[in-house]
Amino acid sequence: MIELLKKLAGIDRRFIYAAVFLATAIPILTKATMKVEPLPEVRKAYEYIESLPESSVVMVSIDYDAASMPELQPMLEAFLHHSFSKNLRVIMLGHWPLGLPLGQQALEKVAGQYNKEYGVDYVFLGYRPGVAAVIINLGKDFRTVFSSDYAYTPIDSLPLMREVSNYKNVKLLLGLEAGAVGDAWVQYGYARYNLPIILGSTAVSTPDYYPYMQANQVISVIGGLRGAADYETLLGITGEASIGMLPQSVIHLVIIAFIIIGNIGFLVLRRAKK
Amino acid sequence: MKKEIPLAITFISGVLLVLALFIPHKPFGNLEEIFNDWYIIVSGFTFLLGIDSLLGYNFGKLKRKEKDAPYALVLILSFFITLTWGIVEIVRTPEHNPFGPTSTFSLYFYNSIFIPLQATMFAILSFFIASAAYRAFRAKEINSALLLVSAVLVMLGRIPLGQSAAPYVITVIFLIFAVYFFAESAGVTEPKIKIAYILVALIFVALIYPLGFVYFRQHIPEFADWIMNVPQMAGKRGIMIGIALGGIAMSIRIILGIERTYMK
Repeated sequence: MIELLKKLAGIDRRFIYAAVFLATAIPILTKATMKVEPLPEVRKAYEYIESLPESSVVMVSIDYDAASMPELQPMLEAFLHHSFSKNLRVIMLGHWPLGLPLGQQALEKVAGQYNKEYGVDYVFLGYRPGVAAVIINLGKDFRTVFSSDYAYTPIDSLPLMREVSNYKNVKLLLGLEAGAVGDAWVQYGYARYNLPIILGSTAVSTPDYYPYMQANQVISVIGGLRGAADYETLLGITGEASIGMLPQSVIHLVIIAFIIIGNIGFLVLRRAKK
Repeated sequence: MKKEIPLAITFISGVLLVLALFIPHKPFGNLEEIFNDWYIIVSGFTFLLGIDSLLGYNFGKLKRKEKDAPYALVLILSFFITLTWGIVEIVRTPEHNPFGPTSTFSLYFYNSIFIPLQATMFAILSFFIASAAYRAFRAKEINSALLLVSAVLVMLGRIPLGQSAAPYVITVIFLIFAVYFFAESAGVTEPKIKIAYILVALIFVALIYPLGFVYFRQHIPEFADWIMNVPQMAGKRGIMIGIALGGIAMSIRIILGIERTYMK
């Protein structure tokens, strides 16, 4: 028995990999959803967007790429559903060039579902290099950074953009963050121009943004797949994030089980050495 | 002069930008905007430097016939196929943005190759994280035990199944600690220490029901939030303030020309 317990401290990693694979794949294949009780911070973000008057201009920054797509794409789609259903107008840009097509695909997909018109209800600006410099200059005048949209259409020929000169005309920025661009949005967008910000981040980046939320420098933080599922729940839609809750729950429990098993083996081994 | 000119440019740019922030009036007020425009343009050119560096490095691997030369070849081929296709599309349809996300080839390449590859790379992390958690989260001492318990509670608190699973996970963890302390007491000869060990073991057993089945069953999400909002945030703030102070100190050193490693 003791020998068996000692072995628990050194389980072959291939066994762990197989367990992780099964714990993820089986729940994904079932496509079952789970009821989630939305976290207070997600509810706060939802209520802020709800409170925006019709036709308000909101901005989305795509600061992620395909690696973070499972967590942030459902968040983006939920936000677009929320915005278009409330007749908010959306400007999209981004600081991660390889992630921008993800943003554009979601924008066109959801805008199409609500019969929204390009240039009037939504605009896709694209990418400019220089993160902090771009954020600062947008606060002065959008035209200093984007004279045209992604398709080379002059922005002054787009009815929506004729009404927007700088952050004063923007009621909210949703920054979808997989890295450190969220810090730049807070440090320059909020601190210098009082831009209202909600950050949607990967679970691994979420702790980095909590201090901004507690200091009221951002309205709220929507964290990880759970945050996206909470947002979908508040909107009453079943998206990818809601479907992801069961696999995520199971894999968390599997990891906890491995941690416990590893500790049993470790403690037995340590005692045996004594 | 080779050193003095860059140092002078750095000093003048740094001082002007600091002045521009604190004196938002002409002539300083516009300076930041102008400098930022220059910065955006220069940032664009860094892509060229990046391409030069990337290709140079990978051509070098091919030349030296290194072990991973086939991967370098794949990278070089992918780069030139994408570039050539982009140029062909410019020639065929000049009004169309060949590198834009709606370009047929780019879209195909992006959706069918790039997204699956990058998503796969990131998905592999979950296997490593599970394996690393199993090996790293060991209760070697009080600090690591606290880290381990916090990690487990946050993981439980953030999943929908957390509330129903929490009592059983807590029971198992507390029983492990109880058995451990009880077993430790067997090897101790000093009566007072022996009693202390047994008492600790009994406390763990006694806490299973009130903590696991009463408190955490109801409040595990709030407890996970507390961990995130108080101890986690305090640590994070300390780190952020430290980084910010370090950043200011480093900036002053660079502006004054004390720190010159960036010129090497």
